[in-house]
Order: sequence, then structure tokens, then C-alpha cells
Amino acid sequence: MKALSRGPALAAGALLLAAVLAIAFSVGGVHLSLADLAAGTGEAGQTARMLAALRLPRVLLAALVGACLALAGAALQALLKNPLADPFLLGTSGGAAVGAACAALVGASPLVSPAFAFVGATAASLGVAALARRGGRLDLERLLLAGLIANAFFSALLLAAFSIASGEASRTMLFWMMGSLSDATPGKVAALGPYVLAGLAVLLGAAPRLNLFAVGEESAAALGVDTERTKRVVFLAASLLTGAAVAFAGVIGFVGLLVPHGVRAVAGNDQRTLLPLSALAGAALLVAADAVSRAALAPAELPIGAITAALGAPLFAWLLLRTP
Amino acid sequence: MIRHGAKGLLLAVGLLFACREPGPADPAVGGPRRIVALAPNLTEIVFALGAGDRLVGVSEYSDHPEAARLIPRVGGLEVDPEKVAALHPDLVLAIAEGNAQGTVRALEAAGLPVTVTPSGSLDAVLESIRLVAARLGRPEEGRRLVAELERRRAAVRARVAGRRRPRALLMVWPDPPQAAGGQTFLNDVLTEAGAENLVADRRGWPVLSKEYVATAPVELLVIPDSVEARAAWDTAFASGTLSRGPVARARRVQLDEAALTRPGPRVFDMLEKLAEATR
Amino acid sequence: MTAALIEARGLLARYGPSLALDGLDASIPAGDLVAVLGENGSGKSSFLKVLARVLPATGGELTFDGRPLAETPRRATARRIAYVPQSVDLVFPIRCLDLVLQGRAPHGNGFVAETPGDRRRALEAMRACDVEGLADRDAKALSGGERRRVFLARALAQEAEVWLLDEPTAGLDPRHRLEFLETLWRAHQDRRTTVLIVTHEIGLAASLATSVLLLKAGRTIARGARTDVLTAENLGRAFGTPFERRGGRFEVRSEVLPSSTSEP
Repeated sequence: MKALSRGPALAAGALLLAAVLAIAFSVGGVHLSLADLAAGTGEAGQTARMLAALRLPRVLLAALVGACLALAGAALQALLKNPLADPFLLGTSGGAAVGAACAALVGASPLVSPAFAFVGATAASLGVAALARRGGRLDLERLLLAGLIANAFFSALLLAAFSIASGEASRTMLFWMMGSLSDATPGKVAALGPYVLAGLAVLLGAAPRLNLFAVGEESAAALGVDTERTKRVVFLAASLLTGAAVAFAGVIGFVGLLVPHGVRAVAGNDQRTLLPLSALAGAALLVAADAVSRAALAPAELPIGAITAALGAPLFAWLLLRTP
Repeated sequence: MIRHGAKGLLLAVGLLFACREPGPADPAVGGPRRIVALAPNLTEIVFALGAGDRLVGVSEYSDHPEAARLIPRVGGLEVDPEKVAALHPDLVLAIAEGNAQGTVRALEAAGLPVTVTPSGSLDAVLESIRLVAARLGRPEEGRRLVAELERRRAAVRARVAGRRRPRALLMVWPDPPQAAGGQTFLNDVLTEAGAENLVADRRGWPVLSKEYVATAPVELLVIPDSVEARAAWDTAFASGTLSRGPVARARRVQLDEAALTRPGPRVFDMLEKLAEATR
Repeated sequence: MTAALIEARGLLARYGPSLALDGLDASIPAGDLVAVLGENGSGKSSFLKVLARVLPATGGELTFDGRPLAETPRRATARRIAYVPQSVDLVFPIRCLDLVLQGRAPHGNGFVAETPGDRRRALEAMRACDVEGLADRDAKALSGGERRRVFLARALAQEAEVWLLDEPTAGLDPRHRLEFLETLWRAHQDRRTTVLIVTHEIGLAASLATSVLLLKAGRTIARGARTDVLTAENLGRAFGTPFERRGGRFEVRSEVLPSSTSEP
């Protein structure tokens, strides 16, 4: 069995992210000439500066959102011992979408939408966790089922809200349900950054325990792990990461499911490597997808959720066919 | 002998089919008396043709002319086929782009006479007027109205000929930024008024990226004006999608939203107004 | 008389809605190889799980080395008690050496086992279980027998003084069963560990165990030295079917089946 060791793997991941960031900053729809930006003179320089001011928060937001989703996905796959676990399986995406829909219906300012979405996401995950509680323990099997039920319920609510929404509200809701990075602002980047760092720190702390979960919850308990506490911490961290990502960028699927898969195939299943590397790879993936969403139908934009799905589904099929 | 008979039979069958074909209403009866219009522009067209008193049901946004506000509503973007059927119309008018085709087919299946009017260009607007006029049994009024509008259109074309064409965007919504692209009647309005539509190569109503809006070399910006949307546009100009780049500095033309965005006779008023601004 | 290493009195535990342990008593001295015997549902696996801190006790007393088990920190007990579960569902690929290294986790800082000492102990344990050659292979790809021995190696690497083995020979063919038992016996002899084996194989208990704990419906119905506990009468009570002693072996009495059958 071969696996890249941690140092080189993380270095490669960081390099990849840096390269993708640099490329995506310059290309995609409207071309940003780095030369004009550097020179800074005249109208070309002014346009370049303005474009950079528009694009930089967007590219950074894409990286942060990608990191959140991939990190949450990796953590959940380890906790649930299920390679098909996806952060959206736990009802967080549905809850966040309903939260944002409420904001749109009530006519709240778009600035408040992320807060609504976040509250919705957190409420949903807490609800799902409560449903999955059995005899004081968090039952992981019931968690998956409860999440499925929650998502189905929220979908119904969303469709109902969508049908009664007026033109503007329904337009906002649609863009939101398909994922959109077009409203990126430096404020959002600054707000999301701490989430990623905190989530990463918490999950890295839990990583050795998560490694023991790979053989099963009982096995981990027998080796001295406080499994209830670990489950709570990891679940909470994953929910917060997902809620924050969805609050700022809408529902973007497949990243949380596929990035950990790809990283595991390359770097093995040691969570101390898998978690940070997934964050880096997820960031790179979403930055690239965002560049494609800007470039594909310029000057119009493809919703980023459509791109991750279009990339993700065939990739997933290929992965399925590969495994014996 | 047999050939004669066959010819006669063919003639008889041909006549039978000719009679069954939906054609203009029988002039002796005066045309349909219970008309339902599923879009506000169709309401305006019916009134412009002098048959407004025959409308028994209109779409929700029909507010022009004033008299239209009193006519019972049958729904907005989503039309309730049962409401329509309950009015026992003898003519239902729909537009190809905008009315749910499923609803239209449901009404046709129920045996109601539905006429779908074309869209996508100024020519289509004129064709719609001609078609509705024919269905109403008022072809003369239709011809007169179309001739009048054609005359005004030609006058505009003459006026703007030879002028430099400013680069323009006709936006229908500020955030997310949506504009009129190619193969739309508003594209024709913009072009025939003497401007160059920057997004004419994108069909339909493209949603533009913020980056594009901020960097496009817009010299003329045409936007619809309405009480409900004013706040959204103001925000966009102050700090949003229209606050930076050439589009923020471009010459701005605000046209009444109802008149601009409904493919009906009033669009030609807008055409004339816009032609002034492109000078 | 040495105090028992593990002492249980009236132990109660629930597994889901049902009562898994309903007043279990046990007194296990250090160094003993105990066969925990009983029919399905008698609570034998549950007893092991309570000892392994996988299942919480809901009543009664349970002490380990004189101290109540529930009050001892989990990490501390994990350093002294190793649990080899009956079956493990491996979903993700895992290198055998990494699996065995997991046994070192309770000793490491923050459950990390990466020191050269850890690696050495892990390889030693694998050698003792005759699976050293599988170190770099994916545990998912192993046969049942090989995997059981790798898990035994994990318990060895844990350097625990108590081993809890839940039906370790279930599903193994005679050769692999023999290999496993020989490996287990040798390791037990070398390290003088206390071993609890849950099984319903009377023959296994009869051949390997020093003492036997006979359970039924979550309670102890007999315990003590092997020869004292293994009687036809006790077995008949435990398994709910008559046993008879035939040629040094205990066999289920049957009116229907032809001739003498092998052990249950």
C-alpha cells in the first residue's frame, strides 16, 4: 500500500492551491491583465484595479468555501465510516436553504441572508442530532437516516416557498439554491476565514481519535477514546463548517463528497494528512470551478453548483467503476 | 365516370376541411364576444383595436388602460386554467414566450379556442397585432394600427441613419444583473433606436456577471422605471453592481417599465423616446 | 489468596432496550485463561464489552485491580485491557502495520503512536502472531484467519495485561482455527496475561481454559475451575438442552440424530 507522507503531500497541496489561485485571478470571463495591474497607470490600470477589487474577494471566498466543504466531508466520512457521507447529508444544506428562503420571502436585506442561512443550518443539524439520539448516545446510523428525512422535509418547504415567491425573491432563491459566489465581498471573506481556521484546528485535534474510528466506534472506545465526546465535537465542527459555507455561497454539492475521496486515493486515510489536504484540495477545486463558471458562458455566469455537479457526477461514476 | 365522382368526392372532402380550419370569426356574428388575455401586452393590444369591452378575463398585471383594471383576473405568470374555463371564453390569447405552454395546451385540450401570438422581435409585435385583429374580426383596425406603427418605426430609422451608434445595454434587472440579449424585441428597440447592443450575441435575457457589468464599455444604459423596483436600482447605482466602471458613468435613460417591457403598441412610444437619447 | 484482578458483583447492563446483563458475578484472578461460556444472548459478549468500556454498566459493581472500573480514566484502562471484537467491518483501506500500531494509541500522546519504540513493539507483536509478512498489506484484503491474527497482534502491541476475545474462532476453518489458538496459547504463556475468551465451543473451553464462567440470561450460573464447572448438569442448564459425557467429551444428547455427533 502506497501513500504520500504528510510533509510532501501538504506541500504539494499548498503549491497546487497557490497555482490555481494565481490562474483564476487572471482568467475567467473578463481577463485581468496582471501587467496592467502592476503598471497601474491610466485607464487600463484603473480598470485592472477595479477588476482586481471585484475578483480577489471572489477567488478567496471560493477557496474558503471549498476548504470548508471538503473538510466537513472528510471529517464526516471518517466519523460515519462511510465513504458516501457528504456534509449535505446531515440536513445542513436544506436548513440553510430554508433559512435563506425565509430571508428572501420576508424581504430582508441581502446582507442579512447569511445570518438567516447559518441559523437555519445550525437548527437543522441540532434537530437531526436530536433525532439520532438513542439512550443518551449519538447513533451514527440513525444520523444518516435523520439527515435524509430532514433534507426531504426541507426540499418540500423550499419548493413551496419557491412557488409563492415573487419575481425578485424567487430569482434570489434560485441563485442561492444553485450556489453563487458572485456576491463575494471582503467582509464575507473576513467572516468566513476564522471558521475555516477554527474548524481545521478542532478537527486536527480530533484527528488521531478519528483514525481509531476507522475500525469502528467500539474499537475506538476499547482503545480509550471518549467516543461520545469525539462524535459530538466532530459533528458540531462539520455542521458549523457546512453551515458557514452554505450561508456565504449557497448550496454547492459534490465538493464535500468527492474531494476526500480523491485525496484518500492519493495520500491514504490518516486523518492528520487527509483533513488538511482535503481542505487545500477543496479550495483549489472550487477556485477552479469558479473560474470555469465565469469563463464558460461569458459574460453570463454558470451557477457554480451546476459545474461541481457536472464534474462530480461522472467522476463519481468513474470512481465507482474502479473499485472492485 | 368514376374520375368525375372521385373529383367530386375530393372537392367535397376539401371543402369539409376548409370549413373545419380555424379561420377569422364569422363577420356576420361580429367576432368573439368573450375574450381572455393571458398577458398584459395582449390586453393592451385588444384595447388598442377597440375591442376592450369584450374582455372578460385578463392577466394580473393588466393595468393599461385604466379600464383594464376593472376586468377580472385569471392569474399572473401562473395562469389558472379552471378560472379561464369558468369564464366561458370564445377566444383565449396567449404569448409564445411567457405563458406556460402546459397551461396553453391544457386549455386547448379542453376545447377552448386559443391563439398564441409570436414574440422575439419588433416584427413579431406587429405580427401579434395583425393576428389578434384577425381573430377579433377587426382586420381593418389591425391594418390601420400596424400601418401607423410601421410609419413611426420608419421615421425613427430615418432619423438615426448615419448617426454614430453608442454602445448600450438595456438592463431589465440590477442585481443579479440581467439584460436584453439578441433575438428579443427589446434588442430590436435598442438597435433601431440607433444604439449598439453590447450583448446582442447572447440570445434571450442573459444574467451578466458583475465583472462584465463593471468593465463593459457602456456608453448608454437603458433601464425600466417603476415604483416597485426603484429602490433596487438606486442601491445598484449607489453601491452595487452599477456603481463602478463605465456603466456608472454612462448616459442613463429611464423608460416607463410597463410601456417598455410589454411587447405591445406602447413599445413604439419608447422607441421614439430612446431615439432622442441616442443623439 | 491473591485478590482477583477483575471482580464483578450483580453487574447490570443494557444493550438497546433489552437487559444484557442481569446480575452477573465473576471473580477472575490474574493470569487466568477464562472461557466465558453460554448460549446466544446469555450476555457473554456484553460482559466483555462492559470490561472493554464499550458498553456502560447500569448497576452492580465492577472493579479492576481493586478500583471501580467506571471511575478509572478510559485511557488508563485501555493501556491494561485489550479488546478483540468478534467482527470488524473495514470500510476504508488500512495498512496492517497501521492497524497494529493502533494498539499503541492508548500509550501515545494524544492517541498518536509514531515513535520508533511503538513501531518496534508493533512489529514484534506481528512476529509473535506470525503476521509480520503482512505488515504492508491492506487489512481489507486479508482472509478471516489472517485478519484475526492481525487483531490479536494489535492486542499484543497494546501491552495489555488483560485480553478480551469475543468468539475468536467463529467462522474459521480447522487449520486457521488451530493456527489462531496456537498463536494465542503461545502468547498467553509468554506474557502471562489474563485472557477472557467468549465462546460457545465447549471443546475449546475444555482444552484451553483454566477456569470457566458459565452464563445464562445475563447471570452467572456457575464459575470456577474448569473441571468443577464443566459438568453435564451445568451445561444442560446453561444451554437448555440435555448433555451427556461420552468418552471424555461433552455432547448434546439427541434422540433424533444418528450416532454420536461432534461437539456443539
